[in-house]
Amino acid sequence: MSIFKIIRRSALLAAVFLCLTLGVGCSNNPYPPPLQENGADGSPWKVRYGALPEDPRSLDPQVCYDSVGKRVIEPVQECLLEYHPFKTDPYELQGCLLEALPERLTGDGGKTTFRCTLKQGILFHNDPCFPGAKGREVVAADVLFAFQRIADPKVECPALSTLQDYVEGLSDAFEAARKSGQFDYSRAISGLQVTGKYTFEIHLTQVYPQLLYWLAMPFTAPVAREAVEYYDGKVHDGIARDLFRFHPVGTGPFQISEWKRNTRIRFVRNPNYRTTTFPTGGWDPTRESELAPLAGRALPLVDEVCMTIFRESIPIFLLFRQGYLDGMGVGKDAFSSLITPSRDLSEKYKERGVSLHRDTEPSTYYMSLNMQDPVLGPNRKLRQALSAAFNTPAYLDIFYNGVPIVAQQLLPPGIAGHKKDLRNPYGYNLEKAKALLAEAGYPNGRDASGKVLELTLDTSGGSADERLGAEFQQRQFEQLGLRVKVVENPFARLMEKLDQGSFQIAAGSGWGADYPDPENFLFLYYSKNIPPAGKNASRYKSPEFDALFDQMATMENGPQREELVSRMNALLAEDVPHILLMHRSLFSLTQSWSPRIQSNPMLEGGLKYAVLDPKSREELQKHWNRKPLWPIGLLLFIFAAATVAGLRAYRST
Amino acid sequence: MFSYLLRRILFFVPIVAGVMLLTFALFFMVQSPEAMARRVLGPKATPKAVELWLHNRGYDKPLLINRIPEQPWYDSLFISQMRRLATFDLGSSDVTGRPLAEVFRQGALPSLLLTVPAFLAGLVMSVGLALYLVFIRNAVADFIASLLCVALMSVPVMVYVIFGQYLVAQVFNYFPAFGFQLNGWSTAKFLLLPIALMIVSGLGADVRLFRALFLEELGQDYIRTARAKGVSSAVVLLRHVFKNGLINLITLVVASLPFLIMGSLLLENFFGIPGLGNVLFTAIQLPDFAVVQASVFLGSLLYLGGLLLTDICYAWADPRIRLH
Repeated sequence: MSIFKIIRRSALLAAVFLCLTLGVGCSNNPYPPPLQENGADGSPWKVRYGALPEDPRSLDPQVCYDSVGKRVIEPVQECLLEYHPFKTDPYELQGCLLEALPERLTGDGGKTTFRCTLKQGILFHNDPCFPGAKGREVVAADVLFAFQRIADPKVECPALSTLQDYVEGLSDAFEAARKSGQFDYSRAISGLQVTGKYTFEIHLTQVYPQLLYWLAMPFTAPVAREAVEYYDGKVHDGIARDLFRFHPVGTGPFQISEWKRNTRIRFVRNPNYRTTTFPTGGWDPTRESELAPLAGRALPLVDEVCMTIFRESIPIFLLFRQGYLDGMGVGKDAFSSLITPSRDLSEKYKERGVSLHRDTEPSTYYMSLNMQDPVLGPNRKLRQALSAAFNTPAYLDIFYNGVPIVAQQLLPPGIAGHKKDLRNPYGYNLEKAKALLAEAGYPNGRDASGKVLELTLDTSGGSADERLGAEFQQRQFEQLGLRVKVVENPFARLMEKLDQGSFQIAAGSGWGADYPDPENFLFLYYSKNIPPAGKNASRYKSPEFDALFDQMATMENGPQREELVSRMNALLAEDVPHILLMHRSLFSLTQSWSPRIQSNPMLEGGLKYAVLDPKSREELQKHWNRKPLWPIGLLLFIFAAATVAGLRAYRST
Repeated sequence: MFSYLLRRILFFVPIVAGVMLLTFALFFMVQSPEAMARRVLGPKATPKAVELWLHNRGYDKPLLINRIPEQPWYDSLFISQMRRLATFDLGSSDVTGRPLAEVFRQGALPSLLLTVPAFLAGLVMSVGLALYLVFIRNAVADFIASLLCVALMSVPVMVYVIFGQYLVAQVFNYFPAFGFQLNGWSTAKFLLLPIALMIVSGLGADVRLFRALFLEELGQDYIRTARAKGVSSAVVLLRHVFKNGLINLITLVVASLPFLIMGSLLLENFFGIPGLGNVLFTAIQLPDFAVVQASVFLGSLLYLGGLLLTDICYAWADPRIRLH
């Protein structure tokens, strides 16, 4: 065969390949077809598309504690209580699987009993683990089973370490199982007494009103024993069953219809869902016209949810621009394209009907100062000087695009006791910092003998961003004339140092609320929580603070409690066991066809309240995804030109 | 031949054991099992939770040799893991508890669907182009093509991925910018763009390499003899240069076959292909020692298998080579 024939045939093949590829790529929609065309009432099937950064690690309600897992399990597994979607200041709990908030009875020596009643007629998802694959009714024994699983060492429930201090018998059950190597599920836990088919009582060894918040977490959600036994990860009759941790069987508004690892998780509406309806009030009066038409409607408001797993942030932005994602968080990569310097949405996206939302997490980030350190511990003025030297607004502007809120107090907004007008007395003020340092015995950063004060700053990680952040932090303190040595640690090593107390200043400390109660933040400075007992990494020890904490922890929210919290805040502000940095905030976007309904940060997405206009989405998707033909023509031209040039070159040799 | 194969396969055992020991030592030199547990459980984990996590996964055992009185010396972390691997039981992920055999089984196909076509098409294109450039060597077109190859080599793969995805999938809307569905021929629409980018990103280097290999072959005595006998340039190139250049090609091609199954981290992450490309990477980041160990175990077996296959191919392609 001559070389001409080879080239001609190769060119022909390449042209066919090109046409084929462009032919196959006729649709750039990345999703599989919806599970159905229409809903049961004939209305168009509504599918919501979202993003996840990775696969959840576990969907076992007693285990799930990471942010991805919580987002996935929320629509599947309902809890005994839930947060009202619109009441966020303060947050409000309401019954979900329970008829109402439990009745609280106080006995001798602080013992408390919570008397609970389950709603009747709530069914688990239809699943092969039940006879006839029909979900059975939720009963009180399922809650007992959940509490037994909390105490089972093999389950590894993260809530155990807290709950075992309060729920009667939980610790004993755990220790007995640890010794024998097997949890005895035939033995009841004394702290969870089933008193009827739908009623049960939780007995606490001491006063602990925060238990209510734990009832709003999946840890205490009822679990069907049949599901745990059925999904054992083994092969039965030639069919491999999943592990229960990958196949939750709950009562939620959605159930998982498909989980393709590393690709997507699809949820479909639970046909048995009756537990809750759309709230009839509680929203901001300005949203009356938007939300009133939804009041009392059956939930969920969409039929299917498809969460795609994105390990990189750039593709999320691309798909959002094409209209294939209904919402997205604004990360660093796309920040400058989307947000103007005045922290507003850019005009281009406003024209597309995109809305910008700023959500503040109930969290506080700070740098821990070691109160047991011989230099920092006894010298309050020195700690105050360090705090006043740190330019937090500049730090947040440079490293977080100025999105988070500068923390003025330990408690984040929305938590009872947070004062909007409170200012950190040792916030950034360089002149004040220098004066305080002189009062601390280190004028211009030198001690009486003229020796420069040297401190160590422990940071986590070694990425370029983290290194720059550490350099910035170092510079802030060195403005005072002292010297700061930066020690970069892997994350686990920093955690170890915090636990061991082998640090002076530790960056990267913070706390996100498990529940919206001041106790969940102030316990970080309770002396009984100094590691290894708890998370008081600063090793702050103040008898006055401890006495106030003991009093405050068991109180109901109200003016009296707020007064105590204010006094505790004042103590922390003056003693400076930390340098406050931020309450983390994030920008997120929603498309015009899927407006944001709720923004309660204690909910993990609140998918059951999500709304959607599929018709508008379809029209805009068509408009935004038109294919120009000129690139194909150009490509063919280049290809033909190269072939001709190649042939000529061959002939000339 | 048979005894050669048997001997080589028996050599696998000490080599793999050595690799595993090295991996184990390196991993736990960088971080202790406690540090691993802390990373996985997060900053809120209590010391008790860390202890329980370690106990449930056997990480509370001595690392290499058990010196605890009244306990067998072999009841250590390394030895118990090696005993498990010896029966090809890969175990479960330390983080998710997912069986690793399932992880590798499910990830292998998408990875192969991406890498095998890209590898084969890339090979055919680069060999074809290299042969052509050898034909027209020293012509202007050869010079321009060489320049283009150097330009292609100089651009980082990341740039091809981001630019290709933006231009073809976002601006022209020809292909999905992200996603994957294993569904007959329609799977192709998710794979064509990443395959094309994989080919283009490797084309420059491959063409230059193969061109150099063929040019070297062109200077041999037997080529001069063939030409002296009046054999045409095309025949010389295809029948003599190409065939004799195969020996060098085999070394490159067969040795890279085992890596195809491990996928491509960058392309899989950017295009949402659920392959094995990020399995090892994510496991090191988390960290998940069970996954690292299983990946290294499978990787070393595949690599040793690839080397053995290379030797067999040598014997097949070159009659001067005999395996004893």
